[in-house]
Amino acid sequence: MHTGIIVDDAMVMRMRLSEILKDFDIIATGENGAEAISLYEMYKPDFITLDISMPEQNGLEALEHIVKNYPDAKVVIVSAAGQKQIVFDALELGAKDFIVKPFENDRVLKAIHRLFA
Amino acid sequence: MKAELANIFIRSAVEVFRKELDISLIRKDLVRKDTTLPSKPTAIIIGLTGCFRGQIVYSIDGVFAENITKAMLSEVPNADKATNSIKQVASAINAKLINSAVSEIANMITGQASIHLAGSYGKLYLTNPMVVSAPEMSLDFLAVPTISLSLLSEFGILEINIAIVEGGSVCTQG
Repeated sequence: MHTGIIVDDAMVMRMRLSEILKDFDIIATGENGAEAISLYEMYKPDFITLDISMPEQNGLEALEHIVKNYPDAKVVIVSAAGQKQIVFDALELGAKDFIVKPFENDRVLKAIHRLFA
Repeated sequence: MKAELANIFIRSAVEVFRKELDISLIRKDLVRKDTTLPSKPTAIIIGLTGCFRGQIVYSIDGVFAENITKAMLSEVPNADKATNSIKQVASAINAKLINSAVSEIANMITGQASIHLAGSYGKLYLTNPMVVSAPEMSLDFLAVPTISLSLLSEFGILEINIAIVEGGSVCTQG
């Protein structure tokens, strides 16, 4: 079973994503970009989902750090900040997919399955 | 411009409520005020910088906030088979969870609006939502011209106070 980490500052969104992805092994959740980096380094999961607007370190900063240090990292952004330029920046930094909130549950599930297809 | 701004926020709120909560929102009132001070006891403040700058203040009452939380949790797939932890938390909806849910809805509406605005004007940045309650409300609001929208739903009234102006010269008018 593939392992994953969910990082979002909203508790309700962490709960929802954990439930959507319950067929995967969600080994940890975090609330900000700094936690995303430390959890990634601790667990080296098969994938990580990142929100962008978060306190301390935002999701794009965490994405940049993770991909720089772990070039094979599978990072999926799940964010309300879906402006074209921000989506472009995230994909250029190495995100595998960008899911704009609000989303259909199936959109998330397919995006994660696609990482391992 | 003011009417365009109001329409963008109305459209964004309607979209988010339909997609995320599966409920309808109907425009009720639009008034001009000289402060973003909200009229309902729970407020969610989001700052905007970049090609627009200022403050958006969403406000709702406590029942509305609880209903938003329940509706967001009901979006969990296979809710009848949900894990015990989800069921336990959902049955004991607490202040932290409610703040999280209303912040997320406000964030999604502002995010949708920023997508529409950025298409014409350039990049925008959103601050993290801050939830404040009635007793602590006095200090966080701007005394600036504000458009105040009231939108009606089955949960009650959502008020959106919009006090933003076009920002820097680097922004392109589309």
